[in-house]
Amino acid sequence: MARPYGLLRAGFPYLKTLGMRRLTNFPVGIALGPEGTGRMFILCRQEGAALVRKYSFDDEDGGTFGEVGDEEGKLQWPVSIIADSEENVYISDEALDRISSFDSDGEFLACFGEPGSGEGQFNRPAGMAFDADENIYIVDSMNHRVQKFAKDGQFILGWGSFGDGDAQFDMPWGITVDELGDVYVADWRNDRIQKFSADGEFVMKFGTSGSADGEFNRPTDVAVDLDGDIYVCDRGNNRVQLFNQEARYVEKFLGAATLSKIGREYMMTNASPNRIRDMAVLEPQKFLRQPRSIAVDAAGHLFITDTGSYRVQVYQKEAIHLEPHQFAPPMRSVTLHQE
Amino acid sequence: MTTDVTKNGKGKAPVLVVLQMTGGNDFMNTLVPYTSGVYYDSRKTVNIAEDRVLSINDQLGFHPSAAPLKEMYDNGDVAIIQGIGYENSNRSHFRAMDIMHTAEPLKISTEGWLAKAITQLDPDGKNVLTGVSFGRGLPRAMAAPGVRVTSVSDIDSYGLMTSIEVKEQRAEELDIFKRFYTPAIGSGATMSYLQQTGDDVLAGIDRLQTVPGKYESTVEYADNPIAKSLRDVARTHIAGLGTRIFYVQHAGYDHHAVEMPAHEKLLDELSGALRDFMADLREHDAAEEVVIYAFTEFGRRVQDNGSGTDHGSGGGAFIIGERVDGGLYADYPSLDPKTFANGEDLAHTFDFRGVYATLLEQWMSVDSVDIVHGKYEQLQPFKIAQG
Amino acid sequence: MSTSAVEARTDLALLAHLYRRAGFGATREQLDRLAARDYEDTVEFLLNPTPEAGVPDDEIARYMGGEAPHAYTATWLFRMINSECQLQEKMALFWHHVFATGLAKNEHALAASSQIEMFRRNGLSDMRTILLDLSHDPAMIFWLDNNENHNGEPNENYGRELLELFSLGVGNYTEIDIKNAARAFTGWTFTQPTPLYPHGYYPTEFRFDPEDHDNGEKTFLGKTGNLDGGDIIDIIVEQPSCARFISRHLYNFFVADEPQVPTWNDLPPQDPELVDAMSKAFLDSGGEIRAVLRVMFNSDSFKDARFKKVKSPTELVVGVLKMVGNHDNFRPGLAKYAESTTVVMGQKLLDPPTVEGWHTGKEWIDGGNLTERVNFAVGEIGDGSSPGIQRIVDRLLEGDSLSSPESFVDSILNAIGPIEVEEPTRAALVKFATDSEGDDDRSRVVRMLRLTVATPEYQFA
Repeated sequence: MARPYGLLRAGFPYLKTLGMRRLTNFPVGIALGPEGTGRMFILCRQEGAALVRKYSFDDEDGGTFGEVGDEEGKLQWPVSIIADSEENVYISDEALDRISSFDSDGEFLACFGEPGSGEGQFNRPAGMAFDADENIYIVDSMNHRVQKFAKDGQFILGWGSFGDGDAQFDMPWGITVDELGDVYVADWRNDRIQKFSADGEFVMKFGTSGSADGEFNRPTDVAVDLDGDIYVCDRGNNRVQLFNQEARYVEKFLGAATLSKIGREYMMTNASPNRIRDMAVLEPQKFLRQPRSIAVDAAGHLFITDTGSYRVQVYQKEAIHLEPHQFAPPMRSVTLHQE
Repeated sequence: MTTDVTKNGKGKAPVLVVLQMTGGNDFMNTLVPYTSGVYYDSRKTVNIAEDRVLSINDQLGFHPSAAPLKEMYDNGDVAIIQGIGYENSNRSHFRAMDIMHTAEPLKISTEGWLAKAITQLDPDGKNVLTGVSFGRGLPRAMAAPGVRVTSVSDIDSYGLMTSIEVKEQRAEELDIFKRFYTPAIGSGATMSYLQQTGDDVLAGIDRLQTVPGKYESTVEYADNPIAKSLRDVARTHIAGLGTRIFYVQHAGYDHHAVEMPAHEKLLDELSGALRDFMADLREHDAAEEVVIYAFTEFGRRVQDNGSGTDHGSGGGAFIIGERVDGGLYADYPSLDPKTFANGEDLAHTFDFRGVYATLLEQWMSVDSVDIVHGKYEQLQPFKIAQG
Repeated sequence: MSTSAVEARTDLALLAHLYRRAGFGATREQLDRLAARDYEDTVEFLLNPTPEAGVPDDEIARYMGGEAPHAYTATWLFRMINSECQLQEKMALFWHHVFATGLAKNEHALAASSQIEMFRRNGLSDMRTILLDLSHDPAMIFWLDNNENHNGEPNENYGRELLELFSLGVGNYTEIDIKNAARAFTGWTFTQPTPLYPHGYYPTEFRFDPEDHDNGEKTFLGKTGNLDGGDIIDIIVEQPSCARFISRHLYNFFVADEPQVPTWNDLPPQDPELVDAMSKAFLDSGGEIRAVLRVMFNSDSFKDARFKKVKSPTELVVGVLKMVGNHDNFRPGLAKYAESTTVVMGQKLLDPPTVEGWHTGKEWIDGGNLTERVNFAVGEIGDGSSPGIQRIVDRLLEGDSLSSPESFVDSILNAIGPIEVEEPTRAALVKFATDSEGDDDRSRVVRMLRLTVATPEYQFA
C-alpha cells in the first residue's frame, strides 16, 4: 500500500456531528474501532470526571466505563486513548503517571508505569500511538521525551530532552505513527511538529508560534493519513491544519458543525431552549472550541474532538490518487502559465 | 386561626422533620395519572405502565417502588399535596431551591423559613439543638442572621478534630482546645464572640454525644443515605434534646437521563426509610408528636426526552405522620396541554407558602405571616384536636 | 535558602501580615526570599502584576480545563495558591465581594467566570474603567435586571445598586438620581447566547440597543443633559462620596473589619485618618485603585492592624493549602475546596448569597462553620506526610527549637506565621508542649501545628 504519486484534492466537506453535552462531555481523545464497524471510544475528562463513552458513527450511545480514583482500574486525569486490533483500549493518565488498559466492555486489564524519570517511568504521560506491530509510543511530557514500549509495558527505547533544538521538546503532548513507521510529535510549548524515524532519529520539523497559516498556538495532537497528509490539532488557534507529506500547508478546518442527531432529538422535546436558540446568532456554533485531539481513518474521515463544545466534528476527505501521467513533474518555481 | 395540636401529641412539643428531595422529583412518576392518554403520549419512554401502578383510586397510583409509602397512605398517615408550586416557577436548581428555602419567589433573601420559625420556638437561643440539620453545610432554609442551629454530618463521628485517629491524642488535644475557647475577660469583642461560639460547640457536642448511647431499637434501617439520616433524626428525637425542627436531604432526583432505574432506586430508598422511621418512633412511643414534610424544588417536564426528563414545574409534596389526616389535597395538575405553563410544564394548583403556613400555624403553633410574607390559603391536613 | 544567607531588609512578621492581607499568605521559604527586599518594593511588586509572575494560562488550560463552575473555581484556587501576583487574585476576590453576582440567578457559568476574569484583568485599574466594564458585563446586567431596563419602562434595579452598593453608599444620592441613572442605562443589554444544550455555554457580550435607549434629558447629581451610562459613571467617579465609599470598602477588606456596609452612612470609619488619606489619593489620581492601595499598604495603620480581621473561608482554606503544599503543582482534587470546603464554612465562590455580598467579620463565624474551619485546618495540617508540613517539621528539628516547652511554642508560632496569640492560648499550648515532653519529636511538632491552627487566633488574618 504505497502512497499515491500525486493527489487531486477535490474537497474536504463537513460530514457530520457526533455527541452532545451529557453524553460526550469534554471529549479529549478518540479511539476508532476496526475499519468499517463505526465503533469508537470517546475519552471524556472534566474536573472531577473521567470516563470512556462507547459511541457509534451513527450517533448512538453505547454506555460508559471508567471512574475517578487512584486505585488500579480507575482514572484521574486521562489524556489519550488508543485501541488495539482487539479493541482493547489503553489510556494514559497524567495525574497517576501510568497507562491503564481495558477490554471493550470496560473490564480493567492491566496498567504500567510509575512516577519518575528513569526508563519506563513517567512524569505526566500524554499522547500515545501504536505502530504496525502494536508497540506503543508514549509522550512523557514533563520528562520532555518519547518512550517506546511493548504492549505489555516492557520498555524498548526512548529519546528526547528538554529544549528547543532538534529532538528536544518542551512539554510535548500528542503523537502519531504513520503507515511507514515514522513518528510525529506535537511539541506543545515549542509550537511545532517534529518527525522522527521509528527508532527516534530526527527527520524534520515544521511550524512556529503564531496564528497565521502554518503557525501554531500550542498544538496538542497530530495525525497522518494513508496519503501521508499531516493533520495538526492547533488547539490555541481553535483549528486543525492540514499539511502535505513535505509539511507544506494545504488548508485549515475551523469547524462547520451542524446539530448532531442526538442533539436534534434533545431539542425536539425542549421548548424553551428552542426559543432561546432562535434568539441567538448561530454563527459561533459551527466553530471548533479548544479542539484537543484528532483521528483519521482509511475512508478519509477526519474526526476532531471539539472539546469545548461537547462533540466530535467529522470531515470527509475527497481526494483522487494521481498516476505519474496525470501529474506533471515537480516545478522549481511558481508560474503564471495556465495550461 | 392557629390550632393548638400540641395536646394531640400527648403533651409533647410538636416536631417537624423536613425532608428535601434534591434535584427535582418527577411527581408524575411518583403519583402516576395512569389513565391519562396525555401522560402516556408524552412519556413514551419514561413512564410507569398501568399494570405496574399501585393504584389509590381510578386515576392515580403510586410508583411500584413506593410500596411502603402506599401502605402508609392506606393507613391514613400520608397527605399528598398535588401540584404544589408558585407563579412563574423557576427552572434553575439553585434559584428554585432558594425560593423554597426562603419563601421569596421574587427577591433574593438570606432568611430561611425554618430559621425564622426557630427564632419563634426558641427566642433567646437557649438551645443550640432546637434546629438540627443532618448533612454538611447548612441549607438556607435553616439559616438566618443571628440564628444558632446545629449542623451534623454524621452523629456517630460528630465533633471537633475528628480527623485525629488516635483516641488518646484526640482527647488530649480537645482538652487543650477547651482552654483556647474558654471565654476570657479582656478579649476583644470579636475574639470573645469566637471563644463563646467554640464553647457552645463543645456544649452541643457533649449533648449530641449522648444520643447513640440512649438508643436501642429492633428496627433495622436499610444501608443508604436517607435511611441513615432518618435514623439519626429518630435517635436524636428519642434522646429528648429538645429539637423541634430537623432537616434531612435525599439527593439525586435530577434525572435528565436514564431516569427509570435511578428514580426507582430513590423511591425505594425513600419510602422504605420513611416506613422504618415511623416504625422506630412508634416502638419508642415517640411518633405522635412528629410530622414529616417531604418536598422538592420543582416537578419535571411533562414530555420526556427519550431517556429522562428535564426541569419543569408543578411538583408534589407529602405530609406524613400519625396526626395527619391522610388523603389527597389540592388538585392534581391539569393534564390538558392547553393549561401547561410555558406550553410544556404542569401548572401548579397550590401555593407552597400556604403549605408552610399550614405546617407552621397548625402543627408548630408558630405565626407564619412574617415567615411566608403574607397570608396564604392553608390546607387542613391534621386530625382535629379532641379536647 | 536559609535566613542567614541574605540580609533581611523587612521584618518577617510585617511581611507575613502583608501577604495575609494583600494575598492569601506566604510560606516561610517565600517570606525569607521576600525579606531581602524593602517593604515598599514588595508593595510595588504586588501592585504591578505581570503575566510572567502569574500562573501560565496555557498550563491552566492544559491541565485544569472545563467550563463548569467547579472547574473555574478550581483554577482560581490554583492561582490563589501559586501565583506570585497575589494581589491580582485578592483584588478579584475583593470586587467579587463588592459587586456580588450569584449563580443562584445567573445560571450561565461562563458569564459568571468571565466576570471574575474581568476583575482579574481590571481590578487594579481605575474606578471609571471598573464601573464601565461592570456595566457592560452580561452576568451583572442579568443579575440586576438591566436587560429588562427599557426606554419608557425603566427597571431601576441596576441604577439603584450601582449607587447604593457599588459606588456611593446610602445617603449620597436621591431617589430621583436613581430613576435618572436607570434611564441612562436603558438599552444596555447583552447578546443572546445559545442555550447550554446540546453544545455547552457560548459567550455573550455587551450590546447597546439604541432603539431601546432613553435619549431624553436627565439630571443626575446636579448635572443635566442627555446623559448615558458612561456619563453617569463619569459623574460618580468624581464624587468625594465615591472616593470615600470605595476607600472604606478597601479598608474593610484589607485592613480591619468594619461594621456591615448598610450602617456606613450612620457609623463613621474606625480609622477616619487613613480612610481620608485613601480618599484623597483616589480623588488626586482620578480614581486609580493602585494609588489608593499604595497609600493604604504603606500606612502605619495598616502595618499595625495585625490580626484585626476574621479570615473569610476562602482566605482560611487557601492559606492552609499553601502551607500544606500539596497543590503547588497541577494535581486533581482542588475543586472540592471551593465546591464543598468553603461552602460549608459559608462562602461559595461565584455564588454570593445576595447582591450585598457576604457579611464579613464576626458574621463569618457560627457554631457549624467554626467546627468546619477547625476540622478542616486540623485535618489538612495534621497529615504530617504532606510536603509543606515536612518542610516545617524539618526546619524546626534542625535547631534547638524544642529545648524547652516555651521555646517550642514560640518556634511553632513563628514557623506558621509568625502569628501572635493571646496569653491564655499561649498557656494552653505551653501546657501541651510540657505534657508531650518525651514523645517522638516529629509527632509532637505535627500535633502542635494542628493545635495551633485550631486556636481562635488562627481564625484572624
